[in-house]
Amino acid sequence: MKHNYTLDAKRYTLTIGWLYPELMSTYGDRGNIICLQKRCEWRGIKVEIKRLDLGFNPNDLSECDLLFMGGAQDQQQKIVAEDLLKKKLTLKKMVDDEIPGLYICGAYQFLGKYYKEANGSVINGLKILDLYTENPGASFSRLIGNSVARALDNKIIVGFENHGGRTYLGKHVKPIGKVIKGFGNNGIDKTEGAVYKNTFGTYLHGPILPKNPHLADLLIKLSLEKKYNSPINLSPLNDSLETKARQSIAKRLKIDL
Amino acid sequence: MNFLLILIGKLVIYASRFFNLGNGSTWPGHIALSLNSNFIRDILKTNDNRLKTILIAGTNGKTTTGKLIQTILEKSGKRVFQNEGGANLLNGIASSLILNSSSTGKIDKNFAIFEIDENTLPLILKEVNDPDYIIILNLFRDQLDRYGEINTIAKKWGDATRHLLSKTTLILNADDPQIAYLALHLKGVNVKYFGIDSKNKTEKRQHASDSTYCPNCGGKLIYNSIYFSHLGDWKCKNCKYARPEKRFSKFTYYPLSGMYNEYNANAAILFAKINNINNSTIQQSLRNFTPAFGRQEKIKIRNKAVKILLSKNPTSFNESLRTIVNLKAKHVLIVLNDRIPDGKDVSWIWDVDFEEFLTNFSNITISGDRCYDMALRLKYINSSKFKNEKLKIKNSLKIENLKLKIEEDLRKAVALASEKTPKSETLYILPTYSAMLEVRKILTGKSIL
Repeated sequence: MKHNYTLDAKRYTLTIGWLYPELMSTYGDRGNIICLQKRCEWRGIKVEIKRLDLGFNPNDLSECDLLFMGGAQDQQQKIVAEDLLKKKLTLKKMVDDEIPGLYICGAYQFLGKYYKEANGSVINGLKILDLYTENPGASFSRLIGNSVARALDNKIIVGFENHGGRTYLGKHVKPIGKVIKGFGNNGIDKTEGAVYKNTFGTYLHGPILPKNPHLADLLIKLSLEKKYNSPINLSPLNDSLETKARQSIAKRLKIDL
Repeated sequence: MNFLLILIGKLVIYASRFFNLGNGSTWPGHIALSLNSNFIRDILKTNDNRLKTILIAGTNGKTTTGKLIQTILEKSGKRVFQNEGGANLLNGIASSLILNSSSTGKIDKNFAIFEIDENTLPLILKEVNDPDYIIILNLFRDQLDRYGEINTIAKKWGDATRHLLSKTTLILNADDPQIAYLALHLKGVNVKYFGIDSKNKTEKRQHASDSTYCPNCGGKLIYNSIYFSHLGDWKCKNCKYARPEKRFSKFTYYPLSGMYNEYNANAAILFAKINNINNSTIQQSLRNFTPAFGRQEKIKIRNKAVKILLSKNPTSFNESLRTIVNLKAKHVLIVLNDRIPDGKDVSWIWDVDFEEFLTNFSNITISGDRCYDMALRLKYINSSKFKNEKLKIKNSLKIENLKLKIEEDLRKAVALASEKTPKSETLYILPTYSAMLEVRKILTGKSIL
């Protein structure tokens, strides 16, 4: 029998897998982990953060209910790519099994088929998401700035993007949203990020979750529903400060929320 | 031609000072360089045999180190000039040449100290063929939207310093792996190292540590001890490349608080020792040292003490917090801006370890263009010490016993924060760069740049 649990019962636990916290955390992306953790704890959901650093055991990965990976510098991404390719099958299976995850910038690109560097050489991706990324070359500028997108559920997402690569989506993934301000995936087709099952890829730093708590809560909800195999309603939190932070940047970019 | 450029430049400087538009530390140079791109090279060449050049680079500490060196050199009877703190692009350097030269381009000084922006170091090395000294302090993540990633900068610096000749003395931070590495493949250049002897040894790695992989082979670095960020006693497990053994790391007196200022002072003292300035002269000048603007600068308002500590990137913010906690700070004003000199991306505040320090303060005021981002960061303080379930937010946020006030208007925020500070205590202001200039303008009624 299925129950529609309310979250007063403090029996929920979530294991959040943080992929490469040492190497892939250059742009304040750990704020996303902090945000997920706090928003669970404020609701009485017990959280364990599993740090999956270089050389981690794939079994540790499969124990996770929610995955996160941030962006990093090129040198570090290469080290990580080598390591993660070895665990590709475990990760692919989890993504296909609808284990929720959030992948930022370099991590997002890496989930795709390939990354073509500015000098033309091609780095293989994990080939988990139907997308690819190309850096058009040193004469093209990086796509940098505040960014606002309208998600498919009509909610506004704000963040900051900073990427040289341009990502193009295939037909098996959907964008997270439509770009209202900024460049998005490639500066051309107005798409931002990608969604496949419960896996979300995006270029947005900021970090993305604290200022967009609806997205944080969506990830938490999906993870709990997957883990407990039943519908979950998260108790609401006071997000007035989050809203204020989102509004103040939207206002400056002359966007009505 | 250059005669005319100097004349125009000097006029611009006098005009902008007269009208209180700043002190003309970038525009004159900008004009001169746009009319003669070789302006810096020309002027330095005119003064080649008398004027020694000192370049100072690094993410944090350039202005303070420059001022320390200037103070020591002047005490030992030398005539010195320096580009204005923060005016550290080519236009700022050109402006300082205009200000300090006669109309024929002659500079009647012994030393020119130039603090150099990270991206400008390769450019200035094309203009100043063989600087007498290059001091490189550190390399931390900072304004990724503007500078790019630190490996990119490290590579640029490596390429730019590779052609240096024996005329140059390199003074490098041995405790920063990427900085020490600059010397590994250099031949014929005189290299000296500095570092610190930290009492604060820890093996715990700070979150915002950057260069923890070997710059030589890419292997993982191991640390006997970490002082802060990625600075410490490091060694590569793989290729055995390790911190240079011989380094200058201890002096009898330091004028400013904080480990980061021991680095700045040791760099300056090592420079002085290389120039045969004796210890007692060094010590006397350090005792009379007054901090550069916004770098632990003390200002009095309405009989209350205010101390400003520029906090511009994760490491700089962490070390400001550590320093004021050691000074028993209770009252703090944090100002976060996101203008070009601050970096437009404020994500970095999530890499600052507020968790470690915040419980020590009783009053925190937050202001700046991105005050709500900063407030949000503090709301999400991730520590077992804070059980902030019952947050009340009405433009003021209470986290346990911590009172937090958000005030968008900086002038009001300064007034509010100083009101809350009792007479015998100090208000510590931690601003980003443009915020620091604004705060100073409010406190002193004078504009700097």
